Amino acid sequence: MVGLVAVLLALPSVIGALPASDAGTPAADLRRAVLASADVPFAGYAQSAGGLDLPVGDQLTSAADLFSDRTTMRAWYRGPADWRVDVVAPTGETGVHADPGGTWTWTWERAVATRTAPSPLALPTAPDLLPSALGRRLLSEATDAELTRVGAERVAGRDALGVRLRPADAASSVSRVDVWVDEASGVPLRVQVFGADGDRPALDTSFLEFEPTTPPAEVTAFDPPADAELREGQDAQLLQSAVRAAEDGRRVRLPAALAGLDRRTIEGAPRSVGLYGRGVTLLAVSPLPGRAADGLRDALVRAPGAVVDDLGVRISAGPLGLMLVDGEDGPVLLTGTVELDALAAAATELVPAW
Amino acid sequence: MIAVELRKLFRRPRTWVTIGLLNGLPVLVAVLLALTDLAPRPGEGPVFLSAVLTNGTLYPLAALAIVLPLFLPIAVSVVAGEAVAGEAQAGTLRYLLARPAGRTRLLVAKLVAVIAFVLVTVVVVAAVGYLTGQLLFDVSPIGGTALSGTTLTSQEIAGRTLLAIGYVTVSMLGVAAFALFFSTLTDSPLGATLGALAVLIASSLLFTLDAASAFAPYLPTRYWLAFVDLFRDPILWRDVVRGVALQGVYVVVLVGAAWANFTTKDVTS
Repeated sequence: MVGLVAVLLALPSVIGALPASDAGTPAADLRRAVLASADVPFAGYAQSAGGLDLPVGDQLTSAADLFSDRTTMRAWYRGPADWRVDVVAPTGETGVHADPGGTWTWTWERAVATRTAPSPLALPTAPDLLPSALGRRLLSEATDAELTRVGAERVAGRDALGVRLRPADAASSVSRVDVWVDEASGVPLRVQVFGADGDRPALDTSFLEFEPTTPPAEVTAFDPPADAELREGQDAQLLQSAVRAAEDGRRVRLPAALAGLDRRTIEGAPRSVGLYGRGVTLLAVSPLPGRAADGLRDALVRAPGAVVDDLGVRISAGPLGLMLVDGEDGPVLLTGTVELDALAAAATELVPAW
Repeated sequence: MIAVELRKLFRRPRTWVTIGLLNGLPVLVAVLLALTDLAPRPGEGPVFLSAVLTNGTLYPLAALAIVLPLFLPIAVSVVAGEAVAGEAQAGTLRYLLARPAGRTRLLVAKLVAVIAFVLVTVVVVAAVGYLTGQLLFDVSPIGGTALSGTTLTSQEIAGRTLLAIGYVTVSMLGVAAFALFFSTLTDSPLGATLGALAVLIASSLLFTLDAASAFAPYLPTRYWLAFVDLFRDPILWRDVVRGVALQGVYVVVLVGAAWANFTTKDVTS
């Protein structure tokens, strides 16, 4: 009897430890396979676990929770503009349905359906943490020199080939990103993001079940229930508040480079919002409406390890850095995957520009 | 012998008092919600409770969610823990075993009685929840909304509620198996009941710890709330299947251990 129980208990571990076949694919080819996998349909079940305690005040709680909690997701993917990701919780569900015109976000607990148009400025949401989406995004701008192979593993019962990204930018707070890629389809099955100091990943997202099949169209489609409250998406509101902040005179005059990172263009974003860097090393600069800035400042000052000086207040949570600078025309937020010193350098370079 | 045990269990006033008390809390909660119109904030409180004010059809599920974490396991542990130890404490066990039926048949009869109690209890909680929901809350004639935002017909809600009742029953069989096993180890029904409850409390505590995540899939309470997944669209079978399989393993192993122990122990009381 005891032996039977021991066998039953050991079965999942034994199956999980089965050796994965390593095709010996070069890292650069693996990256190309990942980028070419955007059209591969699949259905899956994934979990992400984040260890980042982000003190962001009340306004961005849902985004911060993604990086500090365990998030369980079901996904159906028919193509880049036709997919659905449900965040399943013991007490409810939040589903995001994408179509060519934008996304519907259904929150069962509140009976609210939120329509969000495609936006150049978007807060992170659960679908961004799906290994397929995150892996593709993180590898999209990696150079071949930044990539190495790290063997193979079994992920979601499939052979997954490992590729490691070590960002070349000195300002980067990300030490490495490990992406485990489905050998058959090129879809990333697991992504681990490591900060500068840790052997444990700051973010670990993985498929537990993965099936390369085309889900039925009716599964990804969404019609708001008759009794649902309809709302406009927060991303559009964020964009509007950034535009308003710029129009109200809270302009940030942005230089061509900050902390050694070149500015990049965001199509459709207001000129007062800047994005710097490349690949996994990114720094965003944006004016903030006063009310949002007050709550954020209070949260940042109270956070452990916060640095408060003449430049403003800055903190790091794993590989993510946040800094609030009191600019000439209002508060400005700097955030991204850069070291605290790089944030300070960026703030120093910003102030003369004002 | 099975009929004897069933008659004994369901003729005992204490059994029906237990079932009645078990229904007291969901009914009280429903009355308070109906009077005050104050449901828990979305995402807080027992699952489905925040939605019952607008759709009373969901109240059987809310009632099960209210009693599932504590009151239902207590009731099941009390009855199952008393199955063998209660007879030993009352001094009637050796007389029962004097009959030619044998220890295995007695244990099977006790097991069937406990299973019947679990099933009846869960069905009564759901039935009282249904009546309460129909009487105290608005009921949508076209059905309701699945957790995923799709519309479920009344027939679909009824079908999935039946599946949920079956699933909760299976989940409680694991509790019953623990209590029955402990009941064969001791002459104290209280000890057997508390032993089963201690296992469940430890399981619930360990489930909240990330440090215990390696063996979380094997904790007896791990999949208890998976009946919620029956109301997603499409139904998420993953945890439901795992929950049934896990309870099956616990029931087989613990009932086997109870049988091995009971058929070989010296019965002196």
